[in-house]
Amino acid sequence: MTAIAESGFDTSAFEALLNDRTAEPKWLSQRRRDSWKAFEQTAWPNGKEEEWMRTDIRLFKLDKFSSAPAAQPGSAAALLSHGVELGGRIESTNGRTDLSELDADLAEQGVIFGGLSQVAIEHSDAVEKAFARGVVSPTYDRFAMLNDACWTGGVFLQVPKGVHIEKPLHAISRLGGEGAADLSKTVVVLGDGAEATLLMETLSEDAIAAGLHNGTIEIVLGRGAKLRFVSLQNWNNRTWHFAHQKACVGREAQLQWTIGALGARLAKVNQQVALVGPDAEAQVNGVMFTQGKQHLCYNTHQHHEAAYCRSDLLYKAALQDQSRTVWRGMIKVDEAGQRTDAYQRNDNLMLSKDARADSIPGLEIEADDVRCTHGSTSGRVDDHQIFYAMARGFTRQEAVRMIVTGFFQQVFDRITIDSVREALGEAIGARVQDLPNQ
Amino acid sequence: MNDFHSVGPTTDFPDPSSQLVEVDEIAVVLIHAAGHFYALDDVCTHDGGPLSDGDLCVEEATPTIACPRHGAQFALADGAAVTMPATKATQAHEVKVEGGQVYVRLCDSHANTRK
Repeated sequence: MTAIAESGFDTSAFEALLNDRTAEPKWLSQRRRDSWKAFEQTAWPNGKEEEWMRTDIRLFKLDKFSSAPAAQPGSAAALLSHGVELGGRIESTNGRTDLSELDADLAEQGVIFGGLSQVAIEHSDAVEKAFARGVVSPTYDRFAMLNDACWTGGVFLQVPKGVHIEKPLHAISRLGGEGAADLSKTVVVLGDGAEATLLMETLSEDAIAAGLHNGTIEIVLGRGAKLRFVSLQNWNNRTWHFAHQKACVGREAQLQWTIGALGARLAKVNQQVALVGPDAEAQVNGVMFTQGKQHLCYNTHQHHEAAYCRSDLLYKAALQDQSRTVWRGMIKVDEAGQRTDAYQRNDNLMLSKDARADSIPGLEIEADDVRCTHGSTSGRVDDHQIFYAMARGFTRQEAVRMIVTGFFQQVFDRITIDSVREALGEAIGARVQDLPNQ
Repeated sequence: MNDFHSVGPTTDFPDPSSQLVEVDEIAVVLIHAAGHFYALDDVCTHDGGPLSDGDLCVEEATPTIACPRHGAQFALADGAAVTMPATKATQAHEVKVEGGQVYVRLCDSHANTRK
């Protein structure tokens, strides 16, 4: 394999990347070149833009990172697949696929599941068709342009019409080495009436190496399709995490999308759900736990483009130390979205007086026959609850852990996959410190 | 206790000026005013604005720097919030000049929470 430039994402590194991928179809190489050109002509977002006003990336230096392959495949243990019988799995390190497996009976039914780089070569038409949908705009901002030009990793899942995948599919992305980067695209396409469960997670090989993730997720659900999608972001706290994620939910289709956000030095994620066909339904669950100086920013968007659709979003965050979360949520209902039923809620549990949570819900409604509601709460742990628990024999830390777990229970109850519920509960429980006097 | 980090030669910081510097992955505004150097977290405690983009007010009895977004002012000496809408101090850090170089040492609260 040709070595990619040692550091940075300059023109020579980009040309080296293309030289390393000569097997890719021509349409894809051209698309990369177009996006690279746009990237070179565009500035990074800045704090004067509303979307970036609360997320400071002035210390982000792209030239500190490299998309070079890892010296060896990562081995950090997955959390979501523990004890789960899988129908297929993909493992990757620094945006390169190390392992790709799919049950033979699923492959025979026409299911495509594999690392995007390989699938783009073997099923070029399917990938080209998926990219042409433009679910996530490759020119949305400079991060999207960089991703579209330089992606190496990611997952492609296509389930044909009427095929039900009973066993969950699992994909894990690891980052290893100082300055490692993971630029990936995940594409999920479910045909009419298809069903699947996809568990995705990210991990860093060690706790101190600085890393970069710049990714996109694009989901398209056909009529009556059902997808349970879990995305657990568990990078170390020196990783920059930028992502654009969008699902288009078709007529009578159902999406349950669960996000776990535990890691990253700074995360900026745009998560959109577009209900594009009548009677579509989406449930979005978010679990965030921050500590140290972490800064996690999630912008969510529920877009009702058709009538009789339902969306229900619940994001819960617990914050320790001097960490900060920003949640900006928008419910947008087009004029065609009559009889919409939409809800969004964000709850924040402040475990430190120095933590900060910005919660900004919003509604933009053009239809005149809808039910759209939103809510937000932020508060500290009730001292009386701690006293009550300690009076019954719990230590202070056990009491805090119990209260934090109880805080998240509402969102855990909505997660229908046992391994996900347990992994999130354990990961959060391990992070809870004793509560400082407030 | 944290170590001092060099942020550049004194000639990089004319008097008066304020400039963003990175110290151990923390955004710090380094201010040179009336012959003194100051270092504060480069963040307004009201709305997160970048203080390094704000104006210096060095003529007052208490020299301050103003947030460019809503005008909150912070004392250069200790980061105290002097005017609304900020009500909470931004973190001040120790500065020293040696051999023509400016050094900044982060306050301990940063060391305790960087994980």
